[in-house]
Amino acid sequence: MRRHTSTLPFFSVFLEPPMGLHGQVLAAAKEAEVFQALQRLHMTIFSQSVSPCGKFLAAGNNYGQIAIFSLSAALSSEAKEESKKPVVTFQAHDGPVYSMVSTDRHLLSAGDGEVKAWLWVEMLKKGCKELWCRQPPYRTSLEVPEINALLLVPKENSLILAGGDCQLHTMDLETGTFTRVLRGHTDYIHCLALRERSPEVLSGGEDGAVRLWDLRTAKEVQTIEVYKHEECSRPHNGRWIGCLATDSDWMVCGGGPALTLWHLRSSTPTTIFPMRAPQKHVTFYQDLILSAGQGRCVNQWQLSGELKAQVPGSSPGLLSLSLNQQPAAPECKVLTAAGNSCRVDVFTNLGYRAFSLSF
Amino acid sequence: MGAVTDDEVIRKRLLIDGDGAGDDRRINLLVKSFIKWCNSGSQEEGYSQYQRMLSTLSQCEFSMGKTLLVYDMNLREMENYEKIYKEIECSIAGAHEKIAECKKQILQAKRIRKNRQEYDALAKVIQHHPDRHETLKELEALGKELEHLSHIKESVEDKLELRRKQFHVLLSTIHELQQTLENDEKLSEVEEAQDASMETDPKP
Repeated sequence: MRRHTSTLPFFSVFLEPPMGLHGQVLAAAKEAEVFQALQRLHMTIFSQSVSPCGKFLAAGNNYGQIAIFSLSAALSSEAKEESKKPVVTFQAHDGPVYSMVSTDRHLLSAGDGEVKAWLWVEMLKKGCKELWCRQPPYRTSLEVPEINALLLVPKENSLILAGGDCQLHTMDLETGTFTRVLRGHTDYIHCLALRERSPEVLSGGEDGAVRLWDLRTAKEVQTIEVYKHEECSRPHNGRWIGCLATDSDWMVCGGGPALTLWHLRSSTPTTIFPMRAPQKHVTFYQDLILSAGQGRCVNQWQLSGELKAQVPGSSPGLLSLSLNQQPAAPECKVLTAAGNSCRVDVFTNLGYRAFSLSF
Repeated sequence: MGAVTDDEVIRKRLLIDGDGAGDDRRINLLVKSFIKWCNSGSQEEGYSQYQRMLSTLSQCEFSMGKTLLVYDMNLREMENYEKIYKEIECSIAGAHEKIAECKKQILQAKRIRKNRQEYDALAKVIQHHPDRHETLKELEALGKELEHLSHIKESVEDKLELRRKQFHVLLSTIHELQQTLENDEKLSEVEEAQDASMETDPKP
């Protein structure tokens, strides 16, 4: 913009001190820097996914960008500051990238209403294009609900999407067609989990219920209304279920109600974890339960309800945790946490934060 | 060519005994004194020089013996170090294997701990519910009471039925008696009327 004003020499005398070309370039560069800094200040990283080879981590933020970080470079002994920056960053969606998941060759990312696929090998070279982009069949064409959660079902090679339209859509990955629609939730869905033994999907949403769906019959098998149980409900936080994880017989869920461990067969809450802040992501790991949410720390719980450790990260709130357990890269076995900032914290040992990757 | 060999010679001599103290000088002195002794004339001087030369020679032999022993010692030390090095390598490999074993054991122990904690969690929930035997006993007692009460109810109902039937019989007999009494009264009234009309007839 400064370049335009300087072509009118008469006005420029009044508007600003006369600057040469060098000065203009500097000013433009400074503006760009300021813009970038502002962008990074307001960035939220919603989702993460590890590559099938285990050496790269993809992170999606609220501007629709996906950045690929090289974990093997950042963890190696001669890592420098540049290794903590992304290898490549590109604009994937117009809206925020709420959820990402990796198959053995593709990265699937979902945002406002659509899911796109990218080839991992292609993304590492700059300037990659998406492989395909699909939209699940919504009830009206005016709706563009966001897709909050993606889940891969390896046994039937399909992808389950769930989000703002309160339904679960199943998409077959080979043909790209949408096979089933599971209806039952009365408000939008936040999270999905797969119960492997009986192929069932658990979904938790804003309506406060965790519903179990059988994939073969496409019917709702069980409903657990968490807010109705006195021990775990916290009405002042609401009834929304923000995070779900399951271990076939057990399920842990949290959000508005307290973080609780449920025994699925009997639908009883067995342990309530004494955490005041609502949790946004929870996962089972070995004999622990890892959770993160509002609050800087990654919390490690034992199944008996004791807090084993609380490890602070660098973001004021955490939205996603990712454990790199790919067998192909055992040296990159780390826990990464990301949330309300432009940084992804890397924990090599669950006891402390090793370093942070940054957008 | 002479210069090349000179360089080599100098290099070799520097390598062998760089500082120039001791053996090299001794050998040079020996050679010089040998030449002097060959050239000397007198007997006593020659003899003393001869003695001196023998002593220098023995000194040289002594230092050579020492160096040979040192060389042997170095060789044996080297062997020793090689052996120790191999042993340490073996023990490192052993330690690596033990670490892998221990890691597997830790995973196993974690799994066991997780199972135990799951069991504890379920057990806590189950404890809240009352004991099955007691509940069964209570159920049995309640069942018996229910039976007893239903028996009583049946007997009371039977009694009620019986009473009802008896009253019914009583009431119907009373009713019949009333009917018969009314009939009798009507009959007697009709007879009186007939008598009255028969009395008026025979008068004319």
